[in-house]
Amino acid sequence: MAHIVIDICVGRDCGSEALEAAAIASLEHDHQITVVGDESEITAALQKLAHDAEHLGVAHAGDRLDPDLELADSLARAPRSSIAVGMELLARDPAAIFISAGGTAAIVATARRLLGRLPGARHPALAAVYPTLRPHGPASDPFALLLDVGATVDCDAADLVNFAAMGAAYSAKISRIERPRVALLSNGTGLAGAPERIRGAHQRLREATTGFEYIGCLRADHVTSGDADVIVTDGFTGDILLRTLEGVAATGELLLKRAAERLQWRLGVQMLGDGLAAIREFTDWENYGGAPLLGLDRAVVVTQANSGRRAYLNAIRLGAKIDRLQVLAAVAASVASISSVSSVATPHEPPATSSPEAAT
Amino acid sequence: MTPPEPPDSAPAPPVTGDPVAPVAPPVRRLVHLRWDLDKTYLQTNFDSVKDLVKTFWQKPEDKATVAGAQALLQSLMDPADRINRRVTFISGSPRQMRKVLMRKLCLDGVEPDMFILKPNLENLLRGRFRALRGQVGYKLKALLLSHMAQETVDEYLFGDDAEQDSFIYSLYGDILAGRVDAVRMAAILSTCKVYRHDVDEIMAYHAQLAGSGEFVRRIFIHLDRRSPLDRFAPYGARVVAIYNYFQCAVLLFDAGLLASRGLLAVLAAMAGAGYTPERVANSVQDLMRRGFVHPPAIRKIVQALDDAEKTVDRPASQFIQKFEDVITSLEHLQRSGPPIETDINYLGLYHEARFRRQQQRLLGIRLLD
Repeated sequence: MAHIVIDICVGRDCGSEALEAAAIASLEHDHQITVVGDESEITAALQKLAHDAEHLGVAHAGDRLDPDLELADSLARAPRSSIAVGMELLARDPAAIFISAGGTAAIVATARRLLGRLPGARHPALAAVYPTLRPHGPASDPFALLLDVGATVDCDAADLVNFAAMGAAYSAKISRIERPRVALLSNGTGLAGAPERIRGAHQRLREATTGFEYIGCLRADHVTSGDADVIVTDGFTGDILLRTLEGVAATGELLLKRAAERLQWRLGVQMLGDGLAAIREFTDWENYGGAPLLGLDRAVVVTQANSGRRAYLNAIRLGAKIDRLQVLAAVAASVASISSVSSVATPHEPPATSSPEAAT
Repeated sequence: MTPPEPPDSAPAPPVTGDPVAPVAPPVRRLVHLRWDLDKTYLQTNFDSVKDLVKTFWQKPEDKATVAGAQALLQSLMDPADRINRRVTFISGSPRQMRKVLMRKLCLDGVEPDMFILKPNLENLLRGRFRALRGQVGYKLKALLLSHMAQETVDEYLFGDDAEQDSFIYSLYGDILAGRVDAVRMAAILSTCKVYRHDVDEIMAYHAQLAGSGEFVRRIFIHLDRRSPLDRFAPYGARVVAIYNYFQCAVLLFDAGLLASRGLLAVLAAMAGAGYTPERVANSVQDLMRRGFVHPPAIRKIVQALDDAEKTVDRPASQFIQKFEDVITSLEHLQRSGPPIETDINYLGLYHEARFRRQQQRLLGIRLLD
């Protein structure tokens, strides 16, 4: 039985959809769910929702992070924010999983302060999934894993090797792939124009004997092809890539809506209705269940800021799956293994880097 | 005959700020416990015809009780104080099931003073088909019929959210308290489509008992269907929707009706049924957040459990730890319970429930009652 801690101060409709998802999950699953936020507001809102109070607890978080302030100031002025309270619960319960739609920068900074790292893990990496043309693994999982997408902006070669190990272990567990194919995101398949960190990581990954198959560098236009099960990059590039992909999908959606303005096009769109709905379902980020923050000694799942009920329900399912499949233990073993074979892990903590949100 | 001594752990005065529960009955006051059977005491599934048939043919030993219900009832009917306690079962099950149900209660060590079942065969033969599904006429009549005309009686009613128990029990309490006059009563019964014969009987009881006193102290509604809590808010503080019987035990202990041994027995029964400390602690937290109990009351419960465990040797320690965590996390909470409702809009509530039921459809046709 998993213990899922959900930050309900953020998300669509000021977190009310997050609470609805928690209420539904309390009725449908046997998990222990703790919602974090203003207790009086939660209690009032729960009166209207069918829920199971035996499976749904409330942790009071009286402070709110101010988005207008610098991250450090915002965190300092809100010591009892929902992220901080949630992370405290996580620190106390090794079996708990924290789900939040809060800012990645705030989550990473709080996690650095309150949670530990896996032995050998240098920095956390946010791992997002993205649908690809080729299915992955025996269960024909349509998603490839892309990491890091925003947790650690400045990375060196050792960090990328670390991310590769973490991503491969995660993919092996979640998608049941025996030897995941791992690629480094680069500006070409060769190394001629690649930056130093990519060349260094490529060298180390090629030499290391690991539980995954390193297939070399991958260009951004091949991300959706499905050639790789795990695509590794730094947080800055990963964030830009992910948002570009999402932006393209959103633009496609908008273009379809505009097409409906002309009668002939509208008829065409109607005829393609089922197919378009299937594509929309396939590319809808709310179906993915959020992005796990790997490298920490606790499980954290980050969902998008405007996550709705469906996104939270999928994130809860993902959290339960992480618990059931003991993904953290697998990630820890993979990181320890690559640290020992490639001697890339440095004993000291590298300088803390911030996520893109913090950089802005 | 000398009345027996009160239980060893004499009830202490309640510490909640709730206006209904704190009226702790003196030890010698007669306590009348009125229980519904299906989905309140017994785990019953009526969702399909197959379930109905299965329930009908189920052997007594195969019938399961709701976790903690048996322990709670046994503790409330403690032989040391049995002379001051009465228990009545009023069930919608057909009279033909009396033997099986009585056998089940006997196996559970529960001896009801009254056991009323629904005359479903008679309703069927007389063509009173509405009465087969309807509960208002039958249960209200049974409650009024089995009311003990004594000045010193406190009634605690137990029902569930599958039927209209909160509506019927509240109406019954308000009839006794004199808050529902004959005109209003007739209008309610007419709206509820109660058969003329039943209306006449109920109105006769109404004339006899209306305004006899404030007897109904608390109505516990077991949330078998996990209905939203705001559905019970219009009934006021007297109705408490509960997710499990430990919540019920906490409130009865706080009201001075249940001894600490009883509280521990309910906890042990729930632990035996697979309840984890987190699950029980969440239910205690739920009561605190809804304002039914305050941190000092839970502290008293923790102390009582701690003391009782030393003598009875049961594994309550991990539960106690979780309760203490709940108190610590909600120490700041000073929430008052829901207000007492003295003017319940029964007609409005009936229609609201009816419209809710209309959402259920059979082959696209609305199911109207």
